Formats: sequence, structure tokens, C-alpha cells
Amino acid sequence: MKRERKAASAEHKKYLKRLRRENGLVQILRFGLLLALLGVWELVAAMQWVDPFIISSPSRIARTIAELAADGSLFYHIGTTLWETLAGFAIAVVLGTAIALALWWSERARRVLEPYIVVLNSLPKIALGPVLIVWFGTGSAAIVFMTVLVGIIVATLNMLSGFLATDKNKILLLESMGASKWQILTKLVLPSALPDFISMLKVCVGMAWIGSIMGEYIVSKAGLGYLIVYGGQVFRLDLVMAATVILCILAAGMYAPVALAERILVKK
Amino acid sequence: MNKRTERPALEFAGVSLTYHTKQGETLAAADLSFTVEEGEFIAVIGPSGCGKTTLLSLAAGLLAPSSGSIRVYGEAPERGAGRFGYMLQRDELFPWRTVEQNIRLPLEIRRDRSPEAAERALALAEKYGLGGFLKQYPDRLSGGMRQRAALIRTLATRPDILLLDEPFSALDYQTRLNVCDDVYHIIRSEKKTALLVTHDISEAISVADRVLVLSARPARVVAAHALGFGDIAPLRRREDARFTGWFETLWKELNV
Repeated sequence: MKRERKAASAEHKKYLKRLRRENGLVQILRFGLLLALLGVWELVAAMQWVDPFIISSPSRIARTIAELAADGSLFYHIGTTLWETLAGFAIAVVLGTAIALALWWSERARRVLEPYIVVLNSLPKIALGPVLIVWFGTGSAAIVFMTVLVGIIVATLNMLSGFLATDKNKILLLESMGASKWQILTKLVLPSALPDFISMLKVCVGMAWIGSIMGEYIVSKAGLGYLIVYGGQVFRLDLVMAATVILCILAAGMYAPVALAERILVKK
Repeated sequence: MNKRTERPALEFAGVSLTYHTKQGETLAAADLSFTVEEGEFIAVIGPSGCGKTTLLSLAAGLLAPSSGSIRVYGEAPERGAGRFGYMLQRDELFPWRTVEQNIRLPLEIRRDRSPEAAERALALAEKYGLGGFLKQYPDRLSGGMRQRAALIRTLATRPDILLLDEPFSALDYQTRLNVCDDVYHIIRSEKKTALLVTHDISEAISVADRVLVLSARPARVVAAHALGFGDIAPLRRREDARFTGWFETLWKELNV
């Protein structure tokens, strides 16, 4: 139950002020830490304490990004990776949820398929790299497939455990009302698995990036993963670092809407 | 409603039930016989694990007896036939539905979209003091109000018989006495037949017309008592001189 909003006492105001100050401090320290790290990095490179050829530097990374942006290739690479990641993510989430539903529906299917899922789950997906190239060539399709492969088992297992954790008493209640299995699914199992769905999305965002970059490591002509591998091969650490920084920003950017969805949809 | 008063609302005749698991089989109930007349409030008590809940599942048709027969107004029980309203230990309100949506849930399950049915359910909610809470989510309600909402949900489909599975046991003591009183009055004024299973002897005495005592597994009826309190409310019964007498009788029978 919610507390009524009343005029706050002096003590409560003091408490709130302390809370605000603490939060402000955390924000400042967070940002300060980033600046300090970048500063030290820049200094070490500028003073030639370590060869900037090996460790690059924030200013060189910024310059590289600016150059990439100037000739337009930056957005081409970002677009390629982003598209592959989002496509793989969407397919993994939809298919994984659908498979989990089928496994919830049929206990027999669940029992039959269990060992297969366990094996697929523990298999390092990168082992399938050569198969991927042979089947899908060296284009985006291979990378999307790798992304799906990395995400789908996790999505399936997460959703299945969510579906199976449905409150037994609520199921009994619906059965006593004469509910069909379909009704139990739509009225109870799906809505009560919403928090599991959101947490699965969170995990799968991370998995999708692993899948797409891994895919680009194996086969690719474009994308951020391609830039990283290429930069490494020609010893252009600036390029490697620049692509990594952009990757960090994109990954955080993709996580944000999921976290937002969680705050809106999941009632605590 | 097609009530046939000449027939008992619920009749168990020689009902046995065997559970099968990999470890073996368990005789949960043996030769269980009793009747519940229309409008009666029956409490069933028994040692824990004796299969009280099983008895309700049998009545509701969620389980089929291994032998013997169960008759509901003279007919075989049928799952989801709408004769029964089930009330569980916890209110089991769905937190993502408002109180109103929760109360309408059994109507949705039965695909009863008639405005009369919805109105009737909402009128019940109004009548029993939930009117102001209809648009709220269950987490804003107190434990007592939640259990009341659960009862209204149970009554929404106008069941003939209410099956109450220790519906107060999850509440704290004070709330439990109040909610018990509350539920008793609602069931009485709606003239429902009720079958309550509980391990709480005082609770059984305070609400029931008759108390059935079950034995440890396999469950049999070892005693049946008409308490003779008439329409005295639960909280009043606890002050009644006969209360202690019944308590001792039932206590002894449970501990044979």
C-alpha cells in the first residue's frame, strides 16, 4: 500500500537531502573515474611512456572515428553490425519463445528433447564456424545465423523455466473454473512470465552482440567485428580501439530500451 | 438454476482413491461416505496429510475416484460444469489484473460475455464493500479484503457449492477471525452450500452446521457431528458455552 503524501517533517527533508547529495556524488564520481582513466591513458601515450602504436590513445581514437565518419565508412560498418545483431536478436527471441511454449505445452516433447538442448547449450557455437561458411557463404546471412545460434538456446531455456515456474495453485484455481489448457496459457502462464521475458531479453541483448561479433570474426567483409579483426591484422590499434569504443556505446544503447521496458511493464 | 432439493447437494458413497507414483501406490481414501445437504455448511477436519484437499478435488471432478461413486445433485461431477466454486489457502488474485478484472476472470473462462453476469458479479462486489476497490490492483488491498475479493470471484459464476480449502490459514490470527466471520456471513446470506476443509478445530466449530472428522490416511469418516449452533455467527460461537465441549470432543477424535 502506498503512503499518503503529506507535508514532510524537517527530519524527513534532511533525509531526502542526504539521499540527493549521495546520488549526486555517485554521478560525479562515475564521470570523474572515466575522465581520469582517459586522462592517464592520454598522458601515458603523449609522454611516450608506452609506445602509442601499441596502446593507442583517446585522442588518436577520436581522430580515427572522425576519419571513418568523414569517408562514410563508419556508418556503413555500424549499420552492417547493427542490422545483423538486431535481426539475429529478434529471430532468437521469437523462435526461442515459441520453442519454449511448445515444450511447456507437451511434457513428452520436453523429455524427448532435453538431452539435445543440454548438448546444444554447452556446445561452443564458434565450433560451427566452418559449417556456417559452407552453408551460408560469407555474407550477412552467416553472421545472422551465428547470432541466432548463440541466443536461441538461452532464450528457450530462460522462457521455459519461466513458464514452468507458474504458480501451481493458480493453475489449480483456473482448472477448477473449467479452464482449457489454452486459457491457462493465455490468462495465466503468459502474463505471469512477463518478468522472465524481460530478463531473457536482457540476456539475449548481450548474447546477440557476442554472436554477431563472433560471426564477423569468422567471416565478413564489413562491420565492427570486421574492423577489429582487420585493424589487428594490419597492426592499427587505433582502428581496433575505435571500433571497440563504438561497440560499447551501441551495446549500452541497445540495453537501455530493454531496461526501460522492464520499468514500465513489470509491476513490483 | 436447476436445484433439486430432494437430492443431496453432494454425496460420496464408498469412495476410494489410490495415488500412483514411481515409488509405489498410496491409498489416499478408503470407503469414504458422507452427504452434504443443500444449504448446509460442512467442515471437514483431519490430521495433516490425511487427504482433505484430495476430497475437494474429487468433489470438483478434478480427480476421478478409483472406486465408489460421487454424485452432485444426483449427477456425476464434471470438471468445469460450474456447480463448484473453489477457494484456496491464498487468495490467488492475479496481480496484473485489477480487482474487477479478477472478479470477472471465471466469467471469461466460461466465455460468459452476457452483461447480466458481469453486472451480477459487480453488484456482489458492491454489496460486500469492494465497490471502491474495483479499479485497483490487489497489492493495494489488505489481506482480509483480498480474501473477500477472492470469495466474490468464486461467487461470480453463481456456483451451487463452495469448496473452501483452508481459506483462512495464510492470514494472521486477528485477520483470520474477522475474515472467517465475514466469509461466513456472505455464504449464509447468498444461501450457498459450503464444504470447508481445515486443520483448525476452532474454525470448524465456529462456522459449520456439521463437522466431519477424517482419520489419518487412508481417509475415512470416523465421526460426524451436528453442532446445533443454528445461525450464530462465528465470533459469537467462540463465546458460547458449548464451544469448549465440542472442541474437546473433536480434539479427542482427532487424536485417537
